[in-house]
Amino acid sequence: MSPSVLELELAASRARRLVLRMLEAHPAGHVGGALSAIDLVEAIYRTAMRLTVPGLAAPDRDRFLLSAGHKALAQYAVLAETGLIPTDVLDSYGRTGSAVPGHPDMHKLPGVEANTGALGHGLAIACGMALGARLSGFGSRVFVVMGDGELPEGSNWEGAAIAAHHRLDHLAVFVDANGLQISGPTREVMGMESISAKFDAFGWATTELDGNDMASIVRVLDELPLTPGRPSAIIARTVKGRGIPSIEGTVASHYWKPSAAELAAAIEYCEDTTRRLEALVAAS
Amino acid sequence: MTGNLLDPRITFGQAVADAAALDPKVVVLSADSGGSSGLGGFAASHPERYLEFGIQEHGVTGVASGLATCGYIPVFCAIAPFVTCRNFEAFRNDLGYMRQNVKVVGRNGGFTYSDLGATHHSLEDYALMRMIPGVTVLAPQDPAEIRGAVTAMLAHEGPVYMRIGSEPLPEIFPDDSFVIGRAKRLRSGNDLTVVSTGYVTPRVLEAVDQVGAEVDVDLLGLGTVWPLDAEAILDSALRTSRVLTVEEHYLPGGLGSAVCELLAGVPGVVVDRVAVPHDYVPSGRYDELSARFSLDPEGIAARIRAFAASGARSRPVAPGVSG
Repeated sequence: MSPSVLELELAASRARRLVLRMLEAHPAGHVGGALSAIDLVEAIYRTAMRLTVPGLAAPDRDRFLLSAGHKALAQYAVLAETGLIPTDVLDSYGRTGSAVPGHPDMHKLPGVEANTGALGHGLAIACGMALGARLSGFGSRVFVVMGDGELPEGSNWEGAAIAAHHRLDHLAVFVDANGLQISGPTREVMGMESISAKFDAFGWATTELDGNDMASIVRVLDELPLTPGRPSAIIARTVKGRGIPSIEGTVASHYWKPSAAELAAAIEYCEDTTRRLEALVAAS
Repeated sequence: MTGNLLDPRITFGQAVADAAALDPKVVVLSADSGGSSGLGGFAASHPERYLEFGIQEHGVTGVASGLATCGYIPVFCAIAPFVTCRNFEAFRNDLGYMRQNVKVVGRNGGFTYSDLGATHHSLEDYALMRMIPGVTVLAPQDPAEIRGAVTAMLAHEGPVYMRIGSEPLPEIFPDDSFVIGRAKRLRSGNDLTVVSTGYVTPRVLEAVDQVGAEVDVDLLGLGTVWPLDAEAILDSALRTSRVLTVEEHYLPGGLGSAVCELLAGVPGVVVDRVAVPHDYVPSGRYDELSARFSLDPEGIAARIRAFAASGARSRPVAPGVSG
């Protein structure tokens, strides 16, 4: 049975706590983008993907690609929260040779499909996976999370053309549009709006939603593909650093190095949220 | 050497089509480049495994990586600079770092697209590709080796870059045998080692035969640029003490550089290199440009004679061996 919106919100809160657990091991990382995207990642894994631990390498598996590889903390946390990897793997974050490095490494961690981190690579790789699934006759779907800051990379639009031309409607891209990147507001660094109009012009079906609102995310996931015969682009308006009040909506959250007190406050807030959601789930 | 000259692109395309007909995992990717890579017949016979993407190489490199994760063996052939320089970071990350079983073929390598100018020349591909850990770099030397190299690269697990040219090529080998990383001895001799690679080798062979009465050349033809056949080169260099490398590539970074790296620790061995000076090659006739850079048989023969006549020989010493 699919989890309820409330249960998904609880799962996302627990995943946020796991991001903070990694920061307890090593207090530095691309936290802002991980937390803007983590509701999307949690919902995709929990409600849209058919994945099991023994099936993580199955040829007909659904695939999740983090084109914005620096949001890896979100994927690691969700993989652990969903039980696809052991949680204690997260405690190696920051160590040399860790299976959860700053950017994901497919050879180190099950569930990671590509070595992303360099921006503008994920979409074309995902197109290859979607083409491979079709050639093999599998019903697999491919989910990609991109950042709005990586959209100026021209290679994304090579991928956008490929997906539309080859009618890859089993491919869905979520653009985590938190509106901020390392140098400032994305619209000032390199304006790429209207993002949905651009994907639409390439031949995609598009929609926009609040990417930190679980009910909206689940509704769209249930509707995929948005239009049969077309790949789907979901422009998710999000808040960078969502879930840590002291850094929400700030450029500084992009790569956050919390003090011990800042980290403790973030953990306390997150655990309060989790307890509140647990109570609501229990009462529902 | 037979007098029958074959277009390497047609030889290549037919070899891929033959292999793909037997192996349903082989898929051909085209960046508006398949037909001119000799793969038009495969497109007609196997349309489901011939994927067209239009003119874009970064994207196709990523697609190849994704297809490989599904167990397919993508073969992507286009003009050499566009599948090595333009997409270099995708090659490094999506194929190299991800260790994907993808075969990229740069055609019209070197300055064989001579009249189209430096945008279409590829004189740094050996250097770029051998710098990506895990990438095998092939440069088959005649039509038989192109056929053999296609079979070998498809059987090899891992990313491969192969350079072919466009000038018609004579057959110099009696069969299609090709072992990745292994040189072939085309002539045996004791005065001077010549190490050659790629479609230049038939000309080198002609040059060696021209000087045959004057210089006793040990000629090693390398269908694999990287990994280098260190054993064969070291063995020959220790006997002759002089090694001349010949390649249609920039002087820095290619086969000659790789041979220098190999022999740097070997006292008494002198290396000379025939290659293209590190500058943009003007557009022009291929035969004239080849002669300008001593890459025609007469030029290569002259360099062999000059090298053989220079300096005194000294007995080389193997690495780690004193005295």
